Amino acid sequence: MSAGTPLLSVRDLTARIATHHEIVEAVRGVSFDVAPGEAVGFVGESGCGKSVTARAIMRLAAEGTDVRLDGKILFKGRDLLTLSDREMGKMRGRQIAMVFQDPMTSLNPVMTVGAQIDDVLRRHTDLYGRAVRARSIELLDAVGVPDPARRADDHPHQFSGGQRQRILIAIAIACDPDLLIADEPTTALDVTVQAQILRLLMRLREERGMSLLLITHDFGVVAGMVEKVNVMYRGEIVETGDVDTLLSKPQHEYTKSLLAAVPRIRVAGAIS
Amino acid sequence: MKRLIIVRLAWTFAILLGVSFIAFILMRALPGDFVLAAAGTTSVSAEALDGMRAELGLDRPVLEQYLVWLGNALQGDFGASFVTHAPVLQELAPRFFVTLQLSLVAIVMALLIGGVTGLASARLRGRVDWLVRAINGVSLAVPNFVIATLIVLLAGLYFPQLVVFGYTPFAVDPLKSFGNLLLPGLALGLAVSVTISENTRAAVLEVSNQDFVMVARAKGLKRSTVLFQYLLRNAATPIITVAGLQVATLLGGSILVETIFAIPGMGQYLFDSITRRDYPVIQAIVLVAAGVVVLINMLVDIAYIRADARVRL
Repeated sequence: MSAGTPLLSVRDLTARIATHHEIVEAVRGVSFDVAPGEAVGFVGESGCGKSVTARAIMRLAAEGTDVRLDGKILFKGRDLLTLSDREMGKMRGRQIAMVFQDPMTSLNPVMTVGAQIDDVLRRHTDLYGRAVRARSIELLDAVGVPDPARRADDHPHQFSGGQRQRILIAIAIACDPDLLIADEPTTALDVTVQAQILRLLMRLREERGMSLLLITHDFGVVAGMVEKVNVMYRGEIVETGDVDTLLSKPQHEYTKSLLAAVPRIRVAGAIS
Repeated sequence: MKRLIIVRLAWTFAILLGVSFIAFILMRALPGDFVLAAAGTTSVSAEALDGMRAELGLDRPVLEQYLVWLGNALQGDFGASFVTHAPVLQELAPRFFVTLQLSLVAIVMALLIGGVTGLASARLRGRVDWLVRAINGVSLAVPNFVIATLIVLLAGLYFPQLVVFGYTPFAVDPLKSFGNLLLPGLALGLAVSVTISENTRAAVLEVSNQDFVMVARAKGLKRSTVLFQYLLRNAATPIITVAGLQVATLLGGSILVETIFAIPGMGQYLFDSITRRDYPVIQAIVLVAAGVVVLINMLVDIAYIRADARVRL
C-alpha cells in the first residue's frame, strides 16, 4: 500500500435500525479515514451512533436487531459491505479486531480463558496442537497477565475486571490485526485500572503498528491517546480535527458543551 | 465432590424412608384390600376373608405392619407378591429394565425434538417461532394417553405393517427391542419435549443477548463454533435441569403409556398391582421410582459442576 492511502476509508455511512414500530437512522452520512498506524478517536454522548459506527465496520449488530447499512466501508481498498458473510468472517478477528465495553460479560463463563484465545488462533492462523496454547500464553504475557502459563487454565470468574479486559485485548491482538477498534474499553473499569488499560493499548499499538479506532464519551481518554478526533452528535460527525487543536479551540457548539461537561479538579486553592 | 455424594446419599436414605412410609399408609387408606380384591365378586364368608388377612398379617395395626416391612426391607427382603408368591425383586427387575429402556428412548426423543424446535424457535424467530410455540401449546394441553391412543389408531390405520403393540426383550434382539419402543417413546416423550423446547428457547434467547456471543462473532469464529461453544454450552445448564426434573413425569406417564402399548414394564406392573392391591409390589415400585428420581437429581447436580466451573455445591 502506498503511503497516504488510508487503511480504512468510510464514505457516507448510514445505519438504519428497524425496531418494532419504526426505523431509526442511528448513523447518517458519516465519512472518515484511518491511516495505517494512526489512532483516531470518536467522542460523543451515549446514543450518538459511535458504537453503531464501530460495529458497522465489523458488520456486527446486536442479536435480534435488524440493521441496514448503506455507503462504503473501504478497508485496504475493498468495500466490506460487499463481502459475503464467509469473507467477512475471515476478516473479523484477523484483520480487524474489536475490544468491547464490559469485560465482566464479554468472556464466555464456561470456557477457560486460554481456550478463548486458542479458538481465534485456530480459526485464523496455521498454528496447531501445542503451538496454539503456547502462543496464547505468550499473548497473555504480552498484555500483562501474571503467571500466564498457569492462569490460561482458569475461568473468567477467577479474574478481576481489569485482568479480563487485558485478556480480551489479548484475544483482539491474537492474529495481529491491522485495525483495532476499542469501543469504550475503559468505561466499566476503576479509574486506576483505566489508565493501565489505556497505556497497554498505546504500547501495543506502537509495538505492532496497528491502527486504532478509540470510541469513548470521555475527552480525558482521547487526550494523549489519538492523533485525530471525530465528534459525533445525533448520528453525524459534527467536528473533526487533530486532538490538540480540537481540545484547545473547539469550533462546534456541541464540542464546546461536551468539553465543558468534563469535570475538572482545581489545583489552585485546593485543600492541602 | 466426595462430600457432596455422601451428603446426598444420606438425604436419599431419608427421602426413601419418608416415601415408603407415606406410600404404605396411603395404600392401606384406600377402600378395599388385597383380600377383597382377590375374592372379587365371588361370595366368600367373612370368616374366610379374616383368615386370609391373618395369614398375610393384614389384621395387625398399620404401623406394626410398616415396621415389619421396613425391618425386612432394610435386610434386602422386599417380600413376595401376594398374587404370584414370587419374590418381589425377582418379578420387578426385568420390568424395571423395560421401563428404563422406554424412559431412555422417551428422554432422548424429547431432548431431540425439544432441543431442535427450541433452538430453531430462538434462532430463526418470526414464523418458525410462532409455529413452534403454537404446536408446543397444543402438545402440552393434550394428555399423553390421548396422544398414545392417537398414535396407536393412526399407525394401525395407515401403517398396518408396523408392529405397534408389544415388546421384544432386549436380550432377544436389541435393535428390534428399541424399534418397538419408538412409538411409545414418542407418546411418552412428547409432553416432556414441550417443556424442553420452551426452556431451550428461553435459555438460548437469553444467552444470545450476552456480550460474549458478540465477542465470539467479532473473533470471526465459524457459526457452528459460536453455536456449540458459546450459545449451547451456556444454555445447557437450564436445559439439563429441566430434563432431570422431567424424569419423574416420565415415570408417572409410563403407567398409562405402557398399559396402552402393552409393554410389560414397571408402569403397567404398578397399574395391575394397584388394581389387585398387591401391597409388597406397590411398595417396592414406589421405592424404586423415588430412588430413580433422587439419583437423577444427583446426576443433574454433578452435571452442573462439569458444565460450569463457577458452580460449587
